[in-house]
Amino acid sequence: MGRLLMSGTVDAECLMVDFAGLRLRNPVLAASGTFGYGLEMQSYVDLEKIGGFVAKSLTLEPRYGNSPPRIAEVSSGMLNSISLENVGVEAFIRQKLPEVPQEALVIASVFGTEIAHYVEACERLSSEDRVAAIEINASCPHVKSGGIEFGQNAQILGKLVGQVRSSTVGTLLVKLSPNVTDIAEMARVCEAEGADGISVINALQALDVDLKERRSVLWNGLGGLSGPAILPVALRMVWQCFQAVSIPICGIGGISSAEDALKFILCGAQAIQVGTANYLNPCSTEAIVGGLLDYCQENRVGSIQDLVGCLQPPRWKVS
Amino acid sequence: MTSRPSRTCTVLSNESMGGGNFCLRLEISGEWARSSPGQFVMLSPVAPSQFCFSDPLLPRPMAIYRTDATSSGSGIVIDVAYKVVGRGTALMRAALPGSLMTVVGPLGQGFTKPGDGIGAVLIGGGTGIASLYEHARILSEHCRTVVLLGANTAEMILGRVDFEGLSLELHVATEDGSLGSHGLVTDLLPSTLEEMPCSHVYACGPTSMMREVAAIAARRRIPCDVSIENNMACGIGVCLGCAIPLGEGKGFALVCKDGPVFDCRTLGWEDC
Ligand SMILES: Cc1cc2nc3c(=O)[nH]c(=O)nc-3n(C[C@H](O)[C@H](O)[C@H](O)COP(=O)(O)OP(=O)(O)OC[C@H]3O[C@@H](n4cnc5c(N)ncnc54)[C@H](O)[C@@H]3O)c2cc1C
Ligand SMILES: Cc1cc2nc3c(=O)[nH]c(=O)nc-3n(C[C@H](O)[C@H](O)[C@H](O)COP(=O)(O)O)c2cc1C
Ligand code: FES
Repeated sequence: MGRLLMSGTVDAECLMVDFAGLRLRNPVLAASGTFGYGLEMQSYVDLEKIGGFVAKSLTLEPRYGNSPPRIAEVSSGMLNSISLENVGVEAFIRQKLPEVPQEALVIASVFGTEIAHYVEACERLSSEDRVAAIEINASCPHVKSGGIEFGQNAQILGKLVGQVRSSTVGTLLVKLSPNVTDIAEMARVCEAEGADGISVINALQALDVDLKERRSVLWNGLGGLSGPAILPVALRMVWQCFQAVSIPICGIGGISSAEDALKFILCGAQAIQVGTANYLNPCSTEAIVGGLLDYCQENRVGSIQDLVGCLQPPRWKVS
Repeated sequence: MTSRPSRTCTVLSNESMGGGNFCLRLEISGEWARSSPGQFVMLSPVAPSQFCFSDPLLPRPMAIYRTDATSSGSGIVIDVAYKVVGRGTALMRAALPGSLMTVVGPLGQGFTKPGDGIGAVLIGGGTGIASLYEHARILSEHCRTVVLLGANTAEMILGRVDFEGLSLELHVATEDGSLGSHGLVTDLLPSTLEEMPCSHVYACGPTSMMREVAAIAARRRIPCDVSIENNMACGIGVCLGCAIPLGEGKGFALVCKDGPVFDCRTLGWEDC
């Protein structure tokens, strides 16, 4: 489907964006955990036609994930508790990275249960030419604070970002946890500690119940909610961050069409990531690029960057 | 290189196979990679433009029951044999001829070939039988093939008429005794293996059935492939949602990518 829409769109100028020191072909990236290490998606997506992809979050050492069931479906979304499963930083660099086509833009995602682990992983990854940027996933339980997510406490988040910043050479993005009272505060902390950009949002903590078993549907109890169900929450958070900071924002949450992507751009996102929609249709990212191009051409938008943050004030403020 | 994009397909028919089972006939135009028996597709009962509005949202894994040539000669026809168990399969049931669906595939690892090809036993229960039909058809052209099928009642045995049309030995077991032997299909396996030289056993059905089959095959040191079902989101190895345990300390395998067909010895049956 997306193939036809895409013909002739390679490097269409109106879609090019500058994002946190990166020159992106277009603002459409794939979200971590929904695109594997990129290689798995090559049969479905031309990696050189999308803005780039964020690889599955990596820990220093390879890790196994949770026991099944790991996923469940809910209205307009899904729950997941994959946990830390990944091949580890070294295997990513040695086995996965060299296989990714040259023109594809790769963002590595990092997580850990201690700050020192994040720092070491970022150091190692930022020495790799093929890694265009590092996104730190702050939705991981901080063991020393009794399991609260790094991204849920401004002080811990600040410490994490500060320390990672000093050991990371290139572009550093911080992916915020939405499981907080005030997302803008977290965005400000990231900006103050030297992040080049923020990715907003990760999955929302959630629970669903198997009535027959009177138990959580997931082995792990709680899971992360993603998909179209979270889009309005994510939009709200992107908008609030946009008011609060001047570093660029990558919008994430329930995006499955060019229209969804445009909403995020209007709310202040310079780039967007597509997550769960990759499962619904593995060609989603490419199709969204095609849809954005059509929109720009139909509406005579010279550069999609001109739309960033152009959300009009609500009606009651105008009248 | 995008070689296996998701594809729009057209419903040709959607008819009852009896016993609460249905057969969805889909025409896929254009190139389609040849599937091997045991592979599956991810099927969304809506056109690609409707994904984000569909409820349920995620595509459903379905075995490729049978493939056929199209009347025009280009593209392919695939049959999906299914049972309505929830919202996704209810949507499939509601689809009318001419409506559009989306399919990704063929996916996963299919059945391995029988080693020395002397004889093969296929054993299926419930909708698991859908994974076995193509394999039975092809095997029956090459070696002695015995198929054992089971269900609650005679009517519920998926695709029995189709299996009867193949040149193989078919035995059925029903729990109500309405056809064949009275009891579980696994009860037929030991005596079958007693009577024939068998180089491979293939099974697909409920986990309890496959566990039993795996144990019987192991006792006789006969290689055994099982086709496993699990919840899936992507079907292509990127969500890590379909992982199953490989046994204590051995980590996980992905049903969609490493399976759905596994050598039964590789699985951690106590945790399945
Ligand atoms: C590789 C593979 C191949 C498959 N091939 C076929 C096939 O050819 N034909 C077919 O009919 N089904 C097949 N299945 C199973 C099929 O995918 C599920 O039945 C389907 O996803 C259920 O979707 P639903 O929305 O209707 O049910 P849901 O709303 O998701 O679930 C409704 C209820 O059904 C139960 N349920 C879910 N899956 C199954 C299952 N596999 N067996 C029994 N109960 C289940 C759930 O626990 C729940 O209680 C296959 C599964 C896999 C992994
Ligand atoms: C199965 C699954 C696995 C995920 N794994 C990761 C991960 O490893 N790292 C990460 O930062 N986000 C991960 N996410 C979160 C997504 O990247 C994204 O932030 C979230 O799903 C919201 O976007 P969506 O609604 O478009 O999916 C995962 C999401 C899903 C559904
Ligand atoms: S279903 Fe996504 S990895 Fe298997």
